[in-house]
Amino acid sequence: MSLEEGVKYVAAAYGIILAVLVAYSVWSARRVSALEREARLLSTEVERRAKA
Amino acid sequence: MSAESVNQPGALGPAPSDGKTGWRRLVDVPVLFAAAGLCLVAGLLLAFWVAPQDISLGFSQKIFYYHAPIAEVSLLGFLVAFIAGVQYLRTKDARWDRLGMCSVRLGLVFALLVMATGMIWGKASWGVWWDWEPRLTTYLIACLLYCGYFVLRATVEEEERRATFAALFAVIAFIDVPITFFATRVLPQQSQLHPVVITAEDTGMTGTMFAAFFISMAGMTLLFFALLRNDLRVERLKEELAYIKNKLGS
Repeated sequence: MSLEEGVKYVAAAYGIILAVLVAYSVWSARRVSALEREARLLSTEVERRAKA
Repeated sequence: MSAESVNQPGALGPAPSDGKTGWRRLVDVPVLFAAAGLCLVAGLLLAFWVAPQDISLGFSQKIFYYHAPIAEVSLLGFLVAFIAGVQYLRTKDARWDRLGMCSVRLGLVFALLVMATGMIWGKASWGVWWDWEPRLTTYLIACLLYCGYFVLRATVEEEERRATFAALFAVIAFIDVPITFFATRVLPQQSQLHPVVITAEDTGMTGTMFAAFFISMAGMTLLFFALLRNDLRVERLKEELAYIKNKLGS
């Protein structure tokens, strides 16, 4: 196999690794921000009940 | 937890580095991510700029430096799930169930990467995307089994029953993992395409090749534990929020 062909395969493999790890990190970050949003809502609700 | 305490800062669990001293700070998520990143970049630099090109496999052999560590880490994920499963069945502690679920999920993410990079490397070095040889076949079975783990979790509603079934499933599914790992070593070499690279006597690599592999291996393992700790924290927070919501609702 020529060097150029080898480079294509190697680039594809490392590209997939990077893409999957980035996708997983984004998914994880979105979960964290959804939880933060939920925590803020709950906090507001608790404050509202405390005042009432 | 009372409704009043929920409103206090940090009531939903301490921030990652809060109150941590000594060795606990060393296994903190950002530290683990930073260490993993350093090792992975160093491993890549060594693999591409220092390690020599393999004579028989050519440039495509460079895939090995991440492919093999990712494969080992995916099996590590299934091993952690096995240990968590055994511990859950012994103690019925929900923390082991969370650990089992997070490690199977991560094991599957890494397994997806192994399959994808393995197929690319297979095409480059063997000329085929897939072959029903022992290592690939047993690894595919493991992946399908662990996908089944999530199907099982989704079908059982009651929490304790779900955790028990999932733990049992993780323990039984693990039988395939040592079979996958030792397939290349136990079965005759003629029946398979996967080579045995590292043996007890020889690493099968030059010094710099082994250094690149070893550092990448350390990086992937650190990345696995960083992601695992992060996922565990998210799952714990999710459960705490559900508990508070339930309390506020009642």
